[in-house]
Amino acid sequence: MNTTIETTTRLPAGVGQRRGPLVPINYGRIAAYFILLMLALVYVGPLLMLVNTALNTLPGFSRNASALTATLNFQNFVVAWNEANFPRYLINSIIYAVVATTVYALTAVFVAFPIARRYVRGANILLILFIIALFLPPALIPQFQLILRLGLYNSQIGYIMLFLVNPIGIIVLVNYIRSLPKELDEAAALDGCGYFRFVVSIVIPLIRPALATVVILHAIGIWNELILPTIYLSNQNYYPVTRGLIVFEGVYGYNWPTLAAAVLLMAIPMVILYLFLQRYIISGLAQGAVKG
Amino acid sequence: MNYYFGRGRARWIPYLLLLPGLFFYLLIAVGPSLATAVYSFTDANGIAGVPVNWIGTSNYQEFLLEGQAAQENIGALERTIEFCFLVTTIQFALGLLVALLLNQRLRGTRIFRTLFFLPVILGVTIQGLVWILFLYPLGGPVEKVIGLFGAHSEFLGGAPGEAFLWVVVVQVWANLGVTMVIFIAGLQAIPEELNEAARIDGAGTWEVFRNITWPLLTPSVNTNLLLNIVGSLQAWQLFYVLLGYRNGTQVLGYVIYAQGFGGATSAFRQGYAAAASIVLFFLVLVVGLSTQTFLRRREDRLLG
Repeated sequence: MNTTIETTTRLPAGVGQRRGPLVPINYGRIAAYFILLMLALVYVGPLLMLVNTALNTLPGFSRNASALTATLNFQNFVVAWNEANFPRYLINSIIYAVVATTVYALTAVFVAFPIARRYVRGANILLILFIIALFLPPALIPQFQLILRLGLYNSQIGYIMLFLVNPIGIIVLVNYIRSLPKELDEAAALDGCGYFRFVVSIVIPLIRPALATVVILHAIGIWNELILPTIYLSNQNYYPVTRGLIVFEGVYGYNWPTLAAAVLLMAIPMVILYLFLQRYIISGLAQGAVKG
Repeated sequence: MNYYFGRGRARWIPYLLLLPGLFFYLLIAVGPSLATAVYSFTDANGIAGVPVNWIGTSNYQEFLLEGQAAQENIGALERTIEFCFLVTTIQFALGLLVALLLNQRLRGTRIFRTLFFLPVILGVTIQGLVWILFLYPLGGPVEKVIGLFGAHSEFLGGAPGEAFLWVVVVQVWANLGVTMVIFIAGLQAIPEELNEAARIDGAGTWEVFRNITWPLLTPSVNTNLLLNIVGSLQAWQLFYVLLGYRNGTQVLGYVIYAQGFGGATSAFRQGYAAAASIVLFFLVLVVGLSTQTFLRRREDRLLG
């Protein structure tokens, strides 16, 4: 009885999507869900633990770290926000991400477009130059010497300069621009449109999907960078949130409820942004990777 | 190529507008990258105004041959390869499995995909801190679970070999999403009719996978293998967040950072660190190129 009801209720949902033997699939389905749920536990678990701890009190956490919190101790967030110098770090991170990404995106379009169209000599060599970057030795040491000699150590400008480069983004843009018809350029030029205006008012709107992906991934990279601020910024007032969080860990490492609240404060905006921009992030990454 | 936007002086506009991007790229990325080789033959340090002297190959000799430190460096080199092998194998296999499961028409696949990709967005700092908490040795969740089986672990504070394995776990957890997404994209590019035709001809799930899915997935397999191998050879930031600089756990990337910017010693030995960078570069080059060659041959064999 049960089984007949199940098959009749399941069938309409499955019919449009997939035709085939139902029995072996259903069998595999259970196994598939089992594996996925087990793995999901490993992904949800650490995040639940973080939320649980952030709402706990220190005595509660010390008594039993894994137990469901008996309190909703929002005080942790207040302490984390104030003590961690969080507003300052947040503003810094936003400045670095926005300024560097804007400058990068503008320069990148003007690099990618003429390469894709071969409007400059040696376009292929230029493209190769951007591709080999992935295999060059780490630039860490001479980069530091350069910034030091330019007098830009512990300066926000110097720090932003480090993020004006992203060869993968160029490659993604070149690939995308190649799919635009060349007749566009010809028609626009016949109408008296200049090169600069063509790129800004016609090319940029047309490559928006690819550009969005490149911009988002680049900004996320800047936001999450931990090592470069450790190397280049010694003034606490210049720290981005990543570096600030590690410093906070050094001070509050014993007090997990407060530290967890700080981590959560930093993670929540990223999670929300991710849920909204997921489309660009995931599709862009998959496309770029398969082509490159 | 025809250029439509004017002649004479106007022909230079694309060059002029290309210059800023190219300039930054050469100044910040390519230039320093190549200069690493030069710095590796000097005694450069991180202090402004101190003269830099040419000291030949002594950084390399010291790094690879001299005394206790060299042995630790060789240890770090071996550990880098071990890390690469473990991470690549697990991440590749698990990523493929998850992609295959999520590519079926199951309910909730989007939620799973979103969830498994989430750590990629959070970055090493949050990834690391979240796992330090999850692996809390005094009654944390993982400790409780393994306690059910009578096991006990100090996790990240335990013996070097054990702490190292936990970093492998976190590394795979953090980056599985990328591998998964690339495989899903590859799977979706395989025409559905092929699978259906094979099934009508009586092929089972395993036969469909072996004879259709696996060969046609070659582009994603190549991308994932290369990305995983090159990426994990160079990865070290989770070691920094999870363990700090601890003997018996370091990988080459971390040695470079610690020598150049403090952590290993109080001196900033940047010439020495540059030599270490070149060693890592050659490791990546040799492993990367042989993988590439292997994948090319395999591709020719499979797809003719």
